[in-house]
Amino acid sequence: MNPIAIGPGQLLLCLLFVAIAGGASLALGLRLERDLLWGTLRTFAQLFLVGYVLDSVFAIDKPLLVLLVFAFMVFWAAHAVRGRVKDPQVTIFVPTFVSMIISYLAVTILVTAVVVQVDPWWSPQYFIPLGGMIAGNSMNAISLCLERLLTGLRERREGIEQSLSLGANYREATADLLADAIRAGMIPSINALMTVGLVSLPGMMTGQILAGVAPVSAVKYQIVVMLMLVASTAIGAVVVAWVVRRRCFTPAQQLILQ
Amino acid sequence: MRLELQSVGLSFGSNEPQFEDVDLSVEGGDLVIIEGPSGCGKSNLLRLLNRLHEPTTGQLLIDGASAVDSDTVNLRRRAILVAQTPTVRQGTVRDNLCWPFTFRVNRRWTRPTDDMLRRRLDGLLLQEVALDDESRTLSVGQRQRLALLGALLLEPEILLCDEPTASLDGASRAAVETQLETRCTAGAGVVVVTHQDITTFSTTVRRTRLHRHGLQETA
Repeated sequence: MNPIAIGPGQLLLCLLFVAIAGGASLALGLRLERDLLWGTLRTFAQLFLVGYVLDSVFAIDKPLLVLLVFAFMVFWAAHAVRGRVKDPQVTIFVPTFVSMIISYLAVTILVTAVVVQVDPWWSPQYFIPLGGMIAGNSMNAISLCLERLLTGLRERREGIEQSLSLGANYREATADLLADAIRAGMIPSINALMTVGLVSLPGMMTGQILAGVAPVSAVKYQIVVMLMLVASTAIGAVVVAWVVRRRCFTPAQQLILQ
Repeated sequence: MRLELQSVGLSFGSNEPQFEDVDLSVEGGDLVIIEGPSGCGKSNLLRLLNRLHEPTTGQLLIDGASAVDSDTVNLRRRAILVAQTPTVRQGTVRDNLCWPFTFRVNRRWTRPTDDMLRRRLDGLLLQEVALDDESRTLSVGQRQRLALLGALLLEPEILLCDEPTASLDGASRAAVETQLETRCTAGAGVVVVTHQDITTFSTTVRRTRLHRHGLQETA
């Protein structure tokens, strides 16, 4: 059942692939050689680093450390969201990070403890890859959701203020806009349910198959992952949109965005 | 209800203030007209009265008490502002007019009947508009009157109107002015921002002009 291990010689052999791309770049004058070299070096360095870190985390096998790695992943996911949803007027990093960590923690624990029934629930072999997939996937959902929310609040400012002027509170004045934003965040993970297995084989499933797991077992894991991602994008988008919307208004229900 | 602005100023960022030292008091039965060249901050002055904006200097008083600690939703429900460019929501004319009655603050209010809506639309010379019409098909002038009616249906204690007759012809303008006057006679305070000359009001009108350094009563 054990997969064929890749030795250092085989790894070096793979540099041939880079050489092929590099050759093409030189021959056609694409001037991509520098990026190729740098990219290859980074790939080696970053992945080996992660590999060794995970090796130690697995060896130390302490819940606090596992949760720290989880928090680290969510931190970078929230950082990526902030990078994509740059807004000059509202700071979204802290609320995004806090809502992400709470909702993803809940979903990941639910999956490891209740669905997969790992013992203990924080076992790094399960908790870290599952948590990582949740953070990586919902990051896109949350970016989409926030982009839609903030653009909507700006574009429909007059309508929102008209509702406020008739006695709506900020939640009533933006209820339809919030729903739009959450829907925008959730649609990709729902669409993925439709196309999975037809358009592409999911990375986790192919990885398990390569590692020697029987395809039908790998499929069962993939189903768990797909459904878990639907839940985490939904919860993440709802919580983050809810919290960020609140920050777009003053306590006196005045829209801050210009 | 009495709203008072006390030596209020408004500036954005580090720019020169748009206006300062503005004093204004409105209460039930008042009809105040605010005139002034475009861009002098008339609309923003209205927005200070229902706290869509906070003044940079000075303060707003509600019945003599500082507005800072008051419930904004309640203030805006009692002192309704009708903006110059009204937004209509997707849905019918009826949906638009009844929507505010779904707000928490209006929970105890019964939504108007179709008969009543019809009568009020006719009163604003909107006979050609049906309750089932899609609101987005209305013209600017029709939307403006629809928005005004939306506010009137809530029977505000103070009505703040920004250029309510800007895109209307003579007859519709007169109809709007009549409605404002009726509201005023019924005991509400009405503030109208305009650059047009309103002469048809028969009630006593307080005319003011907004300057950079204050609000002046004119004859």
